Amino acid sequence: MFLGAIEAGANFFAGYPITPSSEILVLAAERAAKDPSFKFIQSEDEIAAANAIMGASLAGAKSFTATAGPGFSLMQEAIGYGHQVEIPTVIINGQRVGPATGMPTMPAQEDILQSRYGSSGDYFPIVFYPGSVAECYRYTIISFNAAEESLSPVILLSDAFLSHLNEVVDLESIKLETVPRTRPPLGTGQRTFTGLTHDEEGRARTADAKVHRQWYYKTKERNTKVAAKYPDFELSGNKQSDTLLISSGIVSRVISPLGSEFALFRPIRIFPMLGTELRQIADKYKTIAVIEANDGQYASLVETELHRDVVRVPILGGRITLELAKEGLKQSLGREVS
Amino acid sequence: MYKDLLKLDLFPTSWCPGCGIGQIMIQLAMAMDELGLNHTNCTVISGVGCTGRVSGYMKVDGVYTLHGRTLPVAEAIKLVKPDLKVIVVSGDGDLASIGGNHLLHAARRNPDITVLCNNNNVYGLTGGQAGPTTPRDTKTLTTPDGAYYDPINLQNVMKSGAKYFYARTTVQHQLHLRNCVKEAINWPGFSFVDIACHCIENNGRRLGFNSAYEMLQHFRKTYTRAPAGATELGPNEIGIIRKT
Repeated sequence: MFLGAIEAGANFFAGYPITPSSEILVLAAERAAKDPSFKFIQSEDEIAAANAIMGASLAGAKSFTATAGPGFSLMQEAIGYGHQVEIPTVIINGQRVGPATGMPTMPAQEDILQSRYGSSGDYFPIVFYPGSVAECYRYTIISFNAAEESLSPVILLSDAFLSHLNEVVDLESIKLETVPRTRPPLGTGQRTFTGLTHDEEGRARTADAKVHRQWYYKTKERNTKVAAKYPDFELSGNKQSDTLLISSGIVSRVISPLGSEFALFRPIRIFPMLGTELRQIADKYKTIAVIEANDGQYASLVETELHRDVVRVPILGGRITLELAKEGLKQSLGREVS
Repeated sequence: MYKDLLKLDLFPTSWCPGCGIGQIMIQLAMAMDELGLNHTNCTVISGVGCTGRVSGYMKVDGVYTLHGRTLPVAEAIKLVKPDLKVIVVSGDGDLASIGGNHLLHAARRNPDITVLCNNNNVYGLTGGQAGPTTPRDTKTLTTPDGAYYDPINLQNVMKSGAKYFYARTTVQHQLHLRNCVKEAINWPGFSFVDIACHCIENNGRRLGFNSAYEMLQHFRKTYTRAPAGATELGPNEIGIIRKT
C-alpha cells in the first residue's frame, strides 16, 4: 500500500502507531528521512493525523494516513470534515477485532459500516477493499485517483491478515495512470474552506436548506460518477451452483476452496455498493450468502440492495477458518457442505 | 491598506455588537499589512466557535477547521508550504480544551506558525459555559455555584517548552496587541499570543458588566505592562516572554 501511494504521487503522511498499520507509518518515516520532498508527521493522536492530512491536501500535497479500528473511530470527525470541505485524501484502515482495543493482532471486517457511515451527517464515501498484495498496490493508486476525481476522502480497507501478508508481486506489471492535483493550493486565492454548510464561494450558509441540498446532491452525484469508473469485483467458483457466496478480503481467501461447489462473488469496491453488477449476478442464484468476519454488516446492505433475504454467515473473533465457514453454511443452508 | 485584507462585502459580521473578535481581526489585518502579508504569502486557519469565523472574513485563503483541530491542520500546511505564513486564530476553549493535546505537541514540535488565542474565559458561541480558562468561582451556565477548578495556566504550558514565544495582551491595548502579533509572526518558531478579550453577551452581563465598553475599561484598569526584561508575566501583566 505504501509503494502504491508513492506511485500515485503521495508526498505527505501523518499517522499514529497502531497495530496492524504501524508498518506504513515506519515506511513513511524512512521515506521522509531519505526524500526531503516527502513530508511526515508522527502525530500526537489519530485525530491530529486525520486533520493533518486534510490540511496537507489543502496546501497542495497528496496526503494519506493509515490506522486500525480504534484510530479509525477517532478519525471519523475529520473524514466528515473532508466530505463537507471536499478534500481529496486517502485513509487506510487495517481492520481488527473490536470494539474498543479488542484483539489488536487478529483480523476482522468489523469496520465495514464504520467506513460508510462512521462520521456524523449524510455523505457518500468511496471505499475499496483489496484482497491480495498486488491488489493492495493497485487499489492504493486507484484510491488516490478516485480521491482526486471525487474531491473527497477515499477509504482503503484492509485487515490484520492482509496487512501482514507477504506475496511476490511484479510491480512493473501494474501500470496505472495517476490523476494530478487539480485544486490550486493554499496561498493562491482568497477562498474559505469551511466545515460549515457553505455556498460555492465558501460563505457560511448555516440556515439555508437549499444550499445544503445542492451541496449534498452535487457531491453524491460526483462520487457516484467517479465510483462508476471502478465497478470492480471478482466472480469465480462454480457459476452453475444455485448458491452465490459473497465475501471480501481475508474471508475470500480462506473460503476460496468452496469455489468447487459454490459461485463466489468478491466486491472490491465496497461503497458505493455495486448495484447493477451485483443485481444482475445475484438474479441467477436461488440463495445468496454473505460470509464475513463481523455479524452481518455487509449482509444487511446486500439485502437492502437486492430487496431479498440473504443468508448470514458471521465468523467472529479473528480465527477465520474454512471449517467455520463450512459449519456456518451447513447450519444456514440446512445441508452438508463438501 | 488593512481594509484590503478584509472581505467588507460580507460585513456586518456574525459577531454580536460589542464583541472583541473584530478588534483582533482588524489588528491582525493591520499587522499583516505592515508586514507585507497578503493572499499570496499568508493563510489564516481558525477553529470552531465565534472566533472560527475570522478566516472567512479575510482576503486570504482561509481554513475553518473542526473544533479544536486548528493546530494539526496548520502544522501540516506549514510543512507542505514552508514559504507560506500560517496564522491560527482560535478561541481559548478550542485551543486549550478540546485542542489541548494538539497545543502541547504542536508547541513541542515548534513549527513556524503563529497562534492568536481569543481568550474570553468562556464558551461564548454555545451560550456561556465554563471553559478551561474560566477563573475559579466564576458563575457560568455550567458552574451555577461558581467555577470549581483553577483555570489552565497557558503561560506555563508554553514555558514548558525548550523554546517558546508567549505574549499576553488585551483587545483594549490595541497598539500593544498589534505589536505582539507582528513580533509573533516574525518569530521563527511556534508563537502564542494570549489575547484577553471580552464576551459581553454570554459572559459579561452575568458577571455584572452593563456594556462591552465597561469590560474594556476593566481591562484598561486591571492590566499593566510587565517590566522590561521580564521572564515571567504576572497574573494581569501584558508583555512578551520568549526563549530561543
